[in-house]
Amino acid sequence: MFEVRNISFSYRSRQVLSDVSFVVSPGETVGVVGDNGAGKTTLMRILATALAPDTGGVRVDGHDALRDQMRYRRELGYMQENPALYEDMTVKAYLGYRARLKGEPEKRIRRRLGEASDICRIGDLLKKHIRTLSFGQKKRVALADAMLLRPRVLLLDDVLAGLDRTMRESAGTIISSAAAFSSVIVTGHELEDLARWTTRFLVLSGGRISAAIPAAGLDPATVLARVDAALKGGAK
Amino acid sequence: MSPARVTFRRTVGMAKSLYATAFAFAGFLAASAALFAFNLDAAEGGRTGLAPLWAVSVSPVLPVLAALFGMDVWSDERKSGRIDLLLSSPVRESDLVLGKFFGVWFLSAAGIAVSLVSSLVFLGWYAPALAGRASLPGFIPAFLALAVQSALWSAVAVAASALSRNAAAAATATIALAVALPRGAWFAASSWGAGGRFGFGEFPLDAHAFDFASGLVSSGTAISYAVFTWAALFAATQAVSAARLGGRSLSAARLAAFFTVALALVFAVLASTLALRLDKILDIPLGGTAETHFSDRTHGVLAEGRGTVDVTAFLERKDPRFRETAHFLRAIKREADAASGMGVTVRYVDPVLDLGEAQRLVRKGVPKGSIVFERNGRVADAMPLGESGCGEREFVSVLERISTPFRRSCVYWTAGHGEALFDDYGPEGASDIARDLALDGYASRRIDLAGSAGIADDCALIVVAGPRTDFSTVELDRLRAYLDGGGSGVGGGRLLALVGSGGASGLSSLLSEWGARPSAAQTPAARTISGTDAIVDDFDPDHPVSRPFAGQQVVLERPVAFSASAAASASGSGADRKRYSELLRAGGQCLAAAVERGEAASDLAVRPTRIVAVGDVGFVMNAKLRAYANANRDFFLNSVKWLSGRDAMTESGTEKDRLVSGMDRAARARFAAVTAAAFPFAVFVLAMALTFRKRRRP
Repeated sequence: MFEVRNISFSYRSRQVLSDVSFVVSPGETVGVVGDNGAGKTTLMRILATALAPDTGGVRVDGHDALRDQMRYRRELGYMQENPALYEDMTVKAYLGYRARLKGEPEKRIRRRLGEASDICRIGDLLKKHIRTLSFGQKKRVALADAMLLRPRVLLLDDVLAGLDRTMRESAGTIISSAAAFSSVIVTGHELEDLARWTTRFLVLSGGRISAAIPAAGLDPATVLARVDAALKGGAK
Repeated sequence: MSPARVTFRRTVGMAKSLYATAFAFAGFLAASAALFAFNLDAAEGGRTGLAPLWAVSVSPVLPVLAALFGMDVWSDERKSGRIDLLLSSPVRESDLVLGKFFGVWFLSAAGIAVSLVSSLVFLGWYAPALAGRASLPGFIPAFLALAVQSALWSAVAVAASALSRNAAAAATATIALAVALPRGAWFAASSWGAGGRFGFGEFPLDAHAFDFASGLVSSGTAISYAVFTWAALFAATQAVSAARLGGRSLSAARLAAFFTVALALVFAVLASTLALRLDKILDIPLGGTAETHFSDRTHGVLAEGRGTVDVTAFLERKDPRFRETAHFLRAIKREADAASGMGVTVRYVDPVLDLGEAQRLVRKGVPKGSIVFERNGRVADAMPLGESGCGEREFVSVLERISTPFRRSCVYWTAGHGEALFDDYGPEGASDIARDLALDGYASRRIDLAGSAGIADDCALIVVAGPRTDFSTVELDRLRAYLDGGGSGVGGGRLLALVGSGGASGLSSLLSEWGARPSAAQTPAARTISGTDAIVDDFDPDHPVSRPFAGQQVVLERPVAFSASAAASASGSGADRKRYSELLRAGGQCLAAAVERGEAASDLAVRPTRIVAVGDVGFVMNAKLRAYANANRDFFLNSVKWLSGRDAMTESGTEKDRLVSGMDRAARARFAAVTAAAFPFAVFVLAMALTFRKRRRP
């Protein structure tokens, strides 16, 4: 169980997040949506421990994740909004480097690489230099990096941004398969796509969770209408 | 694989794919080689070792290299946003910082290694005279010294990079901290200080490289480097951790991080100060012995001497002469240990820091800025240091005097016939050589051969230094009687005669009676500089006087040749047997001869008569000794020692530890052009090609 409790954060005079709380169960995929500047990326960075919150905390199976950060980070997969990869490396070398950095034993790295490349369909990219990849391909590599060690918590920031329709569908499939072993939190603006495979939407507005809309088993159009309404309500 | 190692490999791998690396390597090689060529030129003829010279040439460029390699290790991560990925990975910030630090350090060390190997290779090509000194093992301490410095600069570069998103700003900050600030402050302090730059000593960072390079390690300095390296890495770790502290309410945490770093710096300064206050100079034999080339005379004195001499350098550590002196004393101690003769212990007493010991020495009347020689706790001698520090000849003379305290004797100089005199300080006088004699334990006195006093018992030998007018019959008879057996003790007398053409026919006759007949006219020389002088490099390899001079030269201004007279060829037997030796030869002519009657080895009770005759009146005149770099002085001193019976000490005193590259002006220019331009350019082209290939690979 992944619990976010009363997270608040402010940049100088601007309050970005205010008392954000929610829970994500194992196997659940939660979509955090909101307008630009709503605080989605800040929330993801805080959950990824790249940013410290002003107040609040994160608990994973009852443990205080922000206090015992090393343990938490071992169970965490994080994909940034803009994939920042080492351009001079091949995909295989990059993923190997990331696996080693995360402490994966040498003998298991090959297997992890195989699994991640199967899930993210990057087998044909492994020997290519990252600087030669398209934006979408880089996103898939970043996704593979996040999923590399089968994390229990998967944070995917603006995962569908900049991808064409085929790629978005492909990403949906990948994330669905990741949900088998992770609690997944994704952010984005592509509501139609997200609605197909998220189990719940959290609408972030004015730094607060303004609505939590279940999506599992419901008609995507209905869900979208409710999310849209929540977003517009937040805007008002 | 540990996270630090993974990060290290990434840092090195990333550098290999950057064109900036090729620029940095080539620039570093060019700058350090240019400095080395310049310093090699400046140190020509001095005592500076080759390895320390190379170290002080590379040392000033090292911070720039570290700054170029380290400038984007963190700033690029911050700028690209990859820092979030690193911070969300299960790795401690300190591991990431360490990994990047080791990467930058490794690259810097690689630069140093390439500079070292290229310097050695090109020195081998252009300065074969230095081949004995330019060996890799001798340079290992220098490499380690620079590695220690580059560790500090790498840590500073990593810290600067962690504090900035801008790589250029990080590099500028590093260069400002490591180069501009310390060197600028030192130059300013040196310029404004009351005593000028010499009052402040050498620039510490270069001096550290110089000392460490020869294995003279100051514990305080080593600890200071380690502590400041740690402080820089700590600051870098804090800066990386602080990247998380973006929120408004975390300003207190940011302030706390700032104060933590400030405290770490204060701790580093205090620890460094304490370490320097309790400083111990460690003499680590890391191969620095290859840098010392003492004269044969020094070897002889150290091997022949007995007992232990405690040598104390009594001067401040910031004194510019301290470094040279410490290196010299250390080398002497090593030499003494290797010779297994005289024992030498070395201590350093700072008049300001080591108050107890300083007070003891001052009470014994030892002035500050001296080398103190003690035996059995008693001050045997104190040698004031000259402007250039401790001279080998003077130092060893004191050692010799102390180790043979009862052999002090007198050299008597004849006067009144136009001879050069020991108390004449003019260009035609012999005061310089008399000073050397005094250092070796000989007192110089005048002798009046015509007077009634006769020849004193303490007369070790008589010097006739180039008479221009003839001796009287009485004087010649006195000399004859002295040589024939009227000298002090049992047996014959000793004579050192410098003779010219004409003017002193009586002396010539006397020498002929003993077997060495001088020619009446000046002898034309085969090798000459001015047309009248003679350059002589053919020495009798078997005679004790001339044996050590192989490969050296003496210069005779107006040479006169000797030939063996009938007296020499009509050799007698036993104690009457004369042995005639040609000590110096040039173009088939003998220009200095030695005659010995009687053999000391066969009958120690009988003192043999010994004569050395040199065919040049101005052989050791002040003007000649000051003007030429030749072995005249050593030849004369050897002659005196052989004549006075100190055969074991008749060795060349020519100092071999002088740095002589043997390169002429054109060779120096070629050396500088190849090492500072052609080779770095070749490295640059190669590195660019490799990087281009790596980047182009699909």
